[in-house]
Formats: sequence, C-alpha cells, structure tokens
Amino acid sequence: MRAHRSRPRTADLFAGANAPALPAPTLVPGPPQPQVARAAAPRQLWYAALFPSLGDDEQAAMALPRLAHQAQRFTSFVSIEAPNALLLELRGSVRLFGSAQRLHADIDACWRELAVPAHSAIAPATLAALWFARSGQRILLEDPSLLAGSLARLPIACTTWDADRLQTLRSMGVASIGELLRLPRAGLARRFGPAALLDLDIALGRSSAPRRSFVPRERFRERCDFDAEIEHAAYLEQALEPVLERCAAFLRMRQAGIQGVELRLRHRSAPTTRLRLGLASVTSEYRRLRDVLAQRLLGLELAAPVRAIEVISGRLQPLSAASLGVFAGQGGAQARDTAVQLVERLRARLGVRAVYGVSAICEHRPEAAWRRVHALQLAAATLCESPAGTLLPRPLWLLDTPMPLPPADGIAEQGPERIESGWWDGRGVARDYYVMRQSHGAKWWIFQERHSKRWYLHGVFA
Amino acid sequence: MLREATSLADILADARVWKLKDGAARASRPVWPTGNPSLDMRLPGGGWPTASLVEVLIDATGLGEVQLFLPALVQSQQRLPGNDVPWLVWIAPPYEPYAPALVQQGIELDRLLVVRPVTATEALWAAEQALGSGVCAAVLLWLKGSDDRWLRRLKLAAEAGGALGVLFRPQRHRFESSPASLRLLMTGGCSASHLELIKVQGGQLGPIALGES
Repeated sequence: MRAHRSRPRTADLFAGANAPALPAPTLVPGPPQPQVARAAAPRQLWYAALFPSLGDDEQAAMALPRLAHQAQRFTSFVSIEAPNALLLELRGSVRLFGSAQRLHADIDACWRELAVPAHSAIAPATLAALWFARSGQRILLEDPSLLAGSLARLPIACTTWDADRLQTLRSMGVASIGELLRLPRAGLARRFGPAALLDLDIALGRSSAPRRSFVPRERFRERCDFDAEIEHAAYLEQALEPVLERCAAFLRMRQAGIQGVELRLRHRSAPTTRLRLGLASVTSEYRRLRDVLAQRLLGLELAAPVRAIEVISGRLQPLSAASLGVFAGQGGAQARDTAVQLVERLRARLGVRAVYGVSAICEHRPEAAWRRVHALQLAAATLCESPAGTLLPRPLWLLDTPMPLPPADGIAEQGPERIESGWWDGRGVARDYYVMRQSHGAKWWIFQERHSKRWYLHGVFA
Repeated sequence: MLREATSLADILADARVWKLKDGAARASRPVWPTGNPSLDMRLPGGGWPTASLVEVLIDATGLGEVQLFLPALVQSQQRLPGNDVPWLVWIAPPYEPYAPALVQQGIELDRLLVVRPVTATEALWAAEQALGSGVCAAVLLWLKGSDDRWLRRLKLAAEAGGALGVLFRPQRHRFESSPASLRLLMTGGCSASHLELIKVQGGQLGPIALGES
C-alpha cells in the first residue's frame, strides 16, 4: 500500500481532461489522494450515472454515446463505462454551475428530461462513484477522507466483479465492502489477484485509474438542392465548389482531415447515385478535395438529371504536419502539386489499381523477387539486403509467365546462372539463366528448365 | 527587328534563338549525362535535356532503349540533396518493370510510379499530369500511336514542370512531324543496337556509334 501512496502526483496530467484532443481519446490518470484527511476540495470529483434500463449490450452501445453527448453539456470529460454507465469529471465545472449540489441536480434533471431512469452519485474517486451509483444511493461525497467509511456500507455486488469471485467472498462471510477492506491485503491479493486490490485502491482514491474521454463522431454533411435539375456532370462540379469550400473550412476549424468523401446525387425517379472517393492521405485542403471530385465527375455518365447533391465526409482524422499543405508547395509562387495530389488525380480517373509502385523482395526466384505496392505513402525503403554485385544483371522487363521458346539460336553473352529454390512451398524452380542476344538485336533473359531441358523467355533487357 | 537587343550575347541568350551546329554550347537548362560519352558528345549541352520531350522510335523492345535513360534517371533522383527525391513515372510500359533490376541500377524504388491506363488518351492525359506536376524528374511513356496535338501538350507540360518526358513510339511515326526537341531512331543489330539522331535542336543529325554500355 505504501508503494501506492508514495507515487508522484500526476495532477498535472489531468489538465488534459478539460480539453480533450478531438480524435485521440485522452487518458486521465487520477492522482493519488493524500493520506491525511483534509477538508480542502479534492482534486477530482466524479459523477457516475448508471442506467439500469439499458439492459443488453447492443442497446447500451447504441444509447450510451448519445447520452454521453448530452452529458458533454456539463463537462468536457465524459467517459463511457461498460456496460451501462457514464462517468463525468466535475471538478472543472463546479464553479461554473455554482456548487456540486446544483450540478448534481442539473445532471439528474437532464436524464429525467430524456426519460432515462438513472442512478447517480458523486465521489472523489472514479470507482467509488460508480459503486455508489450501482448501489442505488444518491450520494454526494466531496471529502476523500470519508470515502472508506461510506464505501464500507455497500454490498460487494456493487463492484461488478465476476460471479465466482463474489460467491467465494460470500462463502467467506464477506458481504459488504467494509468487511472486504478488513481482510489482510496480502491474502486478498493471493486469493483474488492484484486486479481486485487495484480496484479497491482506485475506489478509495489511493490509486489512479485512467479513463478514456468520450469523443463524439463528427462528419461533415451538407445537402444542396438545386432550383433546376442538372443534366451535365460539368455543371455539378461548379455546384459542388461552395460545398467543398465549406467542408474544408469545417475541417480546418477542427484541425482534422478526411481520407474519403461520399457524394450522393439525388434524382427525381432514379435511385440515388453514390460516388465514393478516396484520397491518398488525410487532408483538409479544398484544392485536393476539388481535384479528386472533378476527376471523378469527368468520367461520369449521369443516369438521370440531378435534383440535389449531398456531400458526406468520411471519419475525421488528425492532421499531421506532413498532410498540411504548408510545407508541400514551396516550389514557387504558383502553388505546385504535391506527389500525393498527383497520385490522387491519376487514381481518381484511372482507378486505384492502375497506379502503383514496385518494390524488391529478397528472394532467389525471379518471379517472387518483386511485388506491386499500392499503399504508396507507406512504402518504406525495403532495400534488398543481398548486395546487387553478386547477381548477374537482371532484365528491366519481366514476363508475367515465362514464354516457351524453341531451342536457343542466339549468342549467350552471360550465364549460366543457376537458380534453384522454393522446394518448400511447392513452387520450386531449378533453372539455368542466360543473357542471350537474339539475331535481331534484342537482349533476352532466358532459362533452361533443368528437369525438362526446355527453354523459356523470362525477361527482356530493355 | 531586334531593336532592344544590345549585343550578340543578348540575342543568343533569347530562348527563341536556336544555336545550330554548336553542340558544345552550354544549354540554358541543366542536362543529365547519358552515361555514354559518345552519345553525350552528340547531344547539345552534353546530355539528356530536362524540361523537354524526347522521342524514341523503336519497334521491338529489348534493344536497351530504357537503359539509355537509366543513368540519367538515377542521377535525377540524387540531384537535390535535402529536398524531396523527385518521382519517376512510367506510363504503360510493355511489361512489368522488374524491381530487382531497377535496384541494381540504383533507382530509388520508393519514388517510382507505374501507371497502367486503359486507353491511349488516358495514357497521354496521365503523362501530361505527371510532367506538369513539378514533382516528377522524368516521365517515360510507351505509346502505339498518338496525334500531334497531344504531343504538343506533353511538350508544354514538360517545359512547365521541368521534367524530362521520354516517349517510346513505333518507327512508323518517323516521317510525321513531332514537337519533340530530340528524336532518336533505334534499331537492332546483330552485335549492338543502332542509334540515329533524326531531330536534334542545336546538334548534328546522323547515326551514333554506341560504345559498350
């Protein structure tokens, strides 16, 4: 126990709770509470709400994010506690709302308005608040020194430990948390594992318990109805420009980017046309969004006149410095394209599979020594370990499948290079490779299969 | 006519003035050595010109036609220390570019893009985009046929983006006019490939004896 008490204070970390970063959930460890009872305000104050009406997991998974969204009125830090509870950090909000009592009443009123039955409790430690809420007592406890005394009265079922553990405890004659706390610590740890002890420490505010901040999922979504129906894709582009501008502004404000956009074209009678567009990297730039959409619209045959359009962004993602255009277009006064933009534009018109990179693989079989790379941004330098000098020259073109040849009639310039490998995966090769100059001047990379003695063309030195 | 010009040097500095039969004159734009001294000597500036379109007329593959450009491509990728490595784009190559061979030659594979368009128009469009983007050092394009107007667009894009555009076309286009600043005819021989300059701005036409490369 002493080890927990002597931990350094982590109160500074908690500052992050008031401003959770948009996409990455914040982890907020609670500080260890001082051993000496103090009447001073505690460093944390947690409000727990338990929703007994949210029975099964699916229903709760649907409802909790919405409730969490509501709860963000009261504090910037809301955490969803499976299966059916919410935790709110209130310390930062108490002054704004006047007092903890007032806040408690306001939040409870919020659940009543939504017609969701809830049990609530406020305590200076996360688990304590949750346990109080589960017990059904509406309690407001601000002083950490009173925690142990108040928790002692709760039945052990409030801990939501698994049934086996609770059963064992009951058979030991332990029915309340007070009795549990009186058990020797070492024995408790041996019998129920360190996790049980940690739970108790967290409930008593002696140990910190990181919580994940709830981050609402946001998307840009805008619909634009036209006065007159649009029949040509070219006009659609013009109509889309202001929407995309607003989308870019929306993303800029949130310092976020997207990697995909969906465009829905609504027709009078025909079913809605849906266009999905992927971007090569996360972006919030208007220019890139417009570029990709314009390319996509270029090749589009409208099934029917368009009555309305809707732009729905993909999931918002954090922007990295590299995806900000600031560093990209340093080339000159007129903003130049970046490689990402080029790839996007090519892909938007030609298709994703038509634009790719290649990478070399350390492998003796020539056909297995390379592969296509479609995730271009991720392609890290995977240089072949084996020094290139040890290999005979390789041809620039490789045929997908070796082409059978009549017995060779050219001059062998180099070779043979024996390649024998791959017996372990059923696609073994045993070949002698030669560089052969044909009579018409072409340089070929041919091989003789060692078993069948047949000749094949495998590559061309272009 | 040229009232503003004050000296011969000014006139010669004008980009619109071609300096014929003066292969040794320094080109205004940087060039990339071809890695072949006898070829370098015949090219204005002593190498492949950047920001321009080069046309290679060739019927069969396997004559070392890409090899002609590889030393320049390798060099182009190492040209700007500190800056981002420029990209190479290969559009519609007749076979799959073989990665181990490219590594052997020293090409930075992370900066090589292969594009497989379906139609010739798409290929030309992709080439125009890549050439004009400013992030590519060189764009290699294989075509069966195309019209003069598109080639003019490619040339303009190459000049705007500062990239080297290389166009491989069949020999039957030899007698058509082409906006390319350099045209080469490549044919196979029993011991080595034959290379002939059929159009060169500021250089001398005629066959080139390729040394062992």
